Amino acid sequence: MKSSIKNFLSETIVFFVPIIIILVLALLFYLPRSGSYWNFLHLAPFYIGIYFWQSQRADIFHLFSAFILGIFADVLEGVSLGINITTFLVLYLISVKYSTKFNVKRFSYSWLLFATAMLITLMFKALITSILYRQLIPLDFLGMEYLLTVALYPLLARIYILLERRYIHLEERYEKI
Amino acid sequence: MLRQRVLFLKENHVLRILKRFMMAGLFAIALLLILVHKIDLGVISGISKGVLFITAPIIHVASLPAQGMSYSYKKISEITNIYKENERLKKENEELFLLKDQIRAVKAENQLLKKMLHHLDVPNIKTKTARVIAETGNSFSNSFIIYLGKGAHKIKPGYGVVGPHGLIGRIDIVSGRYARVSTITDINSKIPVVSASSRDRGILTGTNSPELKLVFTPLLAELHKGDLLVTSGVGGGLPPDIPIARIKQITMDTITAVPLFNPSEIEIVKIIIYDAFPSDKELKDIE
Repeated sequence: MKSSIKNFLSETIVFFVPIIIILVLALLFYLPRSGSYWNFLHLAPFYIGIYFWQSQRADIFHLFSAFILGIFADVLEGVSLGINITTFLVLYLISVKYSTKFNVKRFSYSWLLFATAMLITLMFKALITSILYRQLIPLDFLGMEYLLTVALYPLLARIYILLERRYIHLEERYEKI
Repeated sequence: MLRQRVLFLKENHVLRILKRFMMAGLFAIALLLILVHKIDLGVISGISKGVLFITAPIIHVASLPAQGMSYSYKKISEITNIYKENERLKKENEELFLLKDQIRAVKAENQLLKKMLHHLDVPNIKTKTARVIAETGNSFSNSFIIYLGKGAHKIKPGYGVVGPHGLIGRIDIVSGRYARVSTITDINSKIPVVSASSRDRGILTGTNSPELKLVFTPLLAELHKGDLLVTSGVGGGLPPDIPIARIKQITMDTITAVPLFNPSEIEIVKIIIYDAFPSDKELKDIE
């Protein structure tokens, strides 16, 4: 019984590790800076984080994690609640499909697949936002957001890899107790 | 070492069915949230307030070193340009000195005319300053988070937020000592405006881009490139005559305008505490 509780706690902590890492990185991107290009990168830690954690550590990143992150992104962005949730769920779904069909452990593949996944995800988001507001989203800014997010993937993925290595043994550590 | 069975991942029929329908269920909840948000129920704003209550203090603490650096940089650049700035201010002071007498005369005349016409001034305007701690501005939304400090309870959603050049946006959500402001460039923003020169009315709508659209203008409106647009005060949401944008282009189909502020330069803002309809106590005072 005691070990089951410990196991339960360890699973719960491990479940929240990717969420907290993504949130901390995302909050850092929200700090006011000079230069308007930063504004296009606010959601990059969310997109890259969801894709990365799902493809690399699907055991600790669930569909529900994407849902929780969506709520935070919606409130921080100031969009209607549900838009980013739906978008993140779509990205999660695409990532699941890719993981089963391609070798996502290879970085070059992973980056290329992320670029295609982001294209589909942003198009979907633009579509639902345009329908919701009955107004077409400016596509030039959408393109800018897409390019900057894809360009940032290697850097953020590297940070996530470092953090994953730091916390990956968390589960093992608790199991050995 | 063999993994032990985990409490909440115990495989059974219920969990298997739940897993199967989890994806569809979460999608359905997300779509439902979008629809419910449109209706604007209290539950949704409660969730938003809760999330803002958690995230805003973290951003605020994290932004303190950045603010310190930005302040030091500004001070250093001010010191290096102090001679130039002094010369400019001297010139400006001379011009203002000439204008002072004219303004006094106009003010006196204005007061006299107001008295003759029994004109009522815009009531109940108070202001409160706040600091910007986080900003967003992309294809999907344009907003920022502000720190209100003490007296946050006086701030309500809908109040106007102004900068040194004019209107920036409106308060969207207030949570604790923080609030989220939707800027006038946000796709949801629709503000009744009037041309400062011709007094033609219209609605200024955001497009999530740096440009705004002026819609619902009269057919024979006398609008020109460069005209200043100010709030009309229609609807009672905002006080009248706050500068908001300048007309950039007029074509057969559309009128575009540019806001008077630069989003990346906003640090301190002023909230206009304005209630178009005075309270019972204030009504008694007026009587």
